[in-house]
Amino acid sequence: MSNTQAMATSFKKELFNGEHQFGSPTLVSRTSLTAPTADSFKAALYLATATLNKSTTVYSATNEVSGTGYTAGGVAIGAWNAPASNADSAYTTPTASFAWTTVTLATAFDCCFIYNDTQNDKAVSVHTFGSQTVTAGNFTLTMPANAVGTALLQIT
Amino acid sequence: MTNQAAEPLIWTKNGNMPIAGLTYQTAWDVQIPHYIKFCERYLDASGDVVKESAHVYDCQGVSAAGVVASL
Repeated sequence: MSNTQAMATSFKKELFNGEHQFGSPTLVSRTSLTAPTADSFKAALYLATATLNKSTTVYSATNEVSGTGYTAGGVAIGAWNAPASNADSAYTTPTASFAWTTVTLATAFDCCFIYNDTQNDKAVSVHTFGSQTVTAGNFTLTMPANAVGTALLQIT
Repeated sequence: MTNQAAEPLIWTKNGNMPIAGLTYQTAWDVQIPHYIKFCERYLDASGDVVKESAHVYDCQGVSAAGVVASL
């Protein structure tokens, strides 16, 4: 037997659950110190001309889509699958699709931005899907399988 | 009193229009493993898009690597 250098997979999952704290951030209260409530997250759409990427730190209305039936800030993400892990990776995915119904988004958009609505709109992730417009119709973003290799958010 | 069935309508940017008078188009954008997108459009007689919807299946989310440094 020998020792193997690694980051604990359990630690990866616990990061999703906010079980470790290395710094001293300013947070919005999660009600209880020992049994904190889950944060609320949102999904917003952005124009194809926007420049969201890994350096995006917080939600901004700049270059967010606008149009009939669309509310600035996007839609609430109802719930996430409980963070899970296999041997190497931890992951989680929202339990339901994101949907915008009967909207008109005349300017091309290609990006969905997920952010933490509870913690001062801090960025979570950016997802792109090719340039698109919608006219008096629906736009849905169906979630991937909540599994290793496909989950919406994964730490490997 | 007529016995004629009501003409099917569909909601468009110009209000309810007879669906029989519109041209229906579909398109797939398959970008595996990234996403698959299905688009559907209704065009009026002049070729103007009066209704357009899109549905994206996000095949794969985003991933971050947990890396530990050698001591």
